[in-house]
Amino acid sequence: MIEQDVVCPFCGCLCDDLEIETDGARIVRVKNGCSLAEATFMNDTRLPAPIRRTEAGWEEISYDEAISETAEILREADRPLLYGWSSTHGETQSIGVHIAELIGAVIDNTSTVCHGPSILAIQEVGHPGCTLGQVKNRADVIIYWGCNPVEAHPRHMSRYTTFATGFFVPEAQRERTVIVVDTRRTDTTNIADEFVQIEHGGDYAVLSALRAIVRGKAHVIPASVAGVAKEQLVRIAEICKNAKFGAIFFGLGLTMSRGKYKNVRNAIELTDELSRHTKFVISPLRGHGNVYGSNEVFTWMTGYPFAVDFARGIAFYNPGETTAVDILRRGECDAALIVASDPGANFPRAAAAHLAKIPTVVIDPHVNATTALSRIHIPCTAAGIDAAGTAYRMDGIPIRLKKVIDRGYPDDAEILRKIYDRLDGGMGP
Amino acid sequence: MRCILNTGRSVPQGTAVEHKLSDVYRSIASACFLNPVDLMILGIEDGDRVRVTTPAGYVILTARPAEGVARNECFVTIGPYANHIISSETQGTGMPDFKSQDADVEPTEEAVKSVGELMEAIGGVRP
Repeated sequence: MIEQDVVCPFCGCLCDDLEIETDGARIVRVKNGCSLAEATFMNDTRLPAPIRRTEAGWEEISYDEAISETAEILREADRPLLYGWSSTHGETQSIGVHIAELIGAVIDNTSTVCHGPSILAIQEVGHPGCTLGQVKNRADVIIYWGCNPVEAHPRHMSRYTTFATGFFVPEAQRERTVIVVDTRRTDTTNIADEFVQIEHGGDYAVLSALRAIVRGKAHVIPASVAGVAKEQLVRIAEICKNAKFGAIFFGLGLTMSRGKYKNVRNAIELTDELSRHTKFVISPLRGHGNVYGSNEVFTWMTGYPFAVDFARGIAFYNPGETTAVDILRRGECDAALIVASDPGANFPRAAAAHLAKIPTVVIDPHVNATTALSRIHIPCTAAGIDAAGTAYRMDGIPIRLKKVIDRGYPDDAEILRKIYDRLDGGMGP
Repeated sequence: MRCILNTGRSVPQGTAVEHKLSDVYRSIASACFLNPVDLMILGIEDGDRVRVTTPAGYVILTARPAEGVARNECFVTIGPYANHIISSETQGTGMPDFKSQDADVEPTEEAVKSVGELMEAIGGVRP
């Protein structure tokens, strides 16, 4: 059978034009997807049943047993951490928040180690953004800053920017000017009309210099800023000011390097400065398929987008204190529930190591590095492959993930609902 | 050699990301991309091993040349190898220094560990 218009759940682009051929419970062909999409749909290996770590090694257990034991671990914990959430659908995320509120847990999502600092900047100065459709149809100047879409979002350029035909930009490759800012040369910088190679940690200074030039203060700028020649900065400022519609996309090159959220704030303020001359927008390139959705769901349920602490009985948010890496580094949590993510691989060693010291339960379709650190791993459906649900694209557009096949696994939302039901009654912060 | 450790995504890393305990993932995530001039200065070739040390510890990686990487920078895809030596300090932001960790790179004969071995080193047990 061939299913049309399938949504790929891998990255924040959520490309919704895939064609997938299935043979019973097996996916045999993926059309239109990038190589990340193909790997997501074709190489989907999972555990046959939940596993539990014992003194003698790992043993298979039933779903009922795994769910009861998880509920017991969470019930007995004084400071549980519920982490992950970005590779599953909104329905699961919302039950996660309900559990966190019920047991007074800290709940955090993967934006804490990707665009968390971008959110902090947006909370300071706002987000002049727009949908990807607007960018596709209008933008004649594109800036990729501290990101590498060719590797991380392979179809971003062909669907929305460099190579995409737009209503007001019918000849994309000729009419769009693409500027790429990075510390290293990559396949993305090779496509750029202007490649701005900056020294490590120089983003803040270069953004400030561009703001000054756009303000008409070029005379205060030295001959070189963080390795970038003043002439190039002046040229770029002119390209931007003369744009009909400019769009800046930024990645972890801004959020993870020196300055962190202040880099992003400076980029937003450059956007604001440019909008006094023409129309400019800015947006983060979000990584996980539904990481934007985890921010949406957390925000509408708790008021905060990530790092929410319910220990006080109300939602409390203080990044640096209630963020997952900090809680683990301090050895503060005494149990962890990891859903649809892999902090064992993606957190610094000292933070990941704490997961092995406490009872950690993983609910994830795939075995990952965190499995080795956990006490129980419960396999489940993968949203967008064998489970339907809502995910948010990187520009905040909700898109319904389809169920393409049925592999007989329970939905992670169903597993969490059962855990919630076992906890409910007598519990509470 | 003093370097700045930079990390990021790549297509090979993304295609193997749900198979973290595989040999394919090991070779992708344990590759340390260095400027060819730096490889020459270190006296090593493509495929030789390097010991990368930071205040958080050390890890053995496989050196790979990449002309796009600046001098005195090493690039490792995001994952358990890079994170083995990245500090968990977040300076009050929640975000570790994933892209700007100072590191020492030196040639070594030691072998590259598997992801399972890295997890065992911090108290894990391979499934």
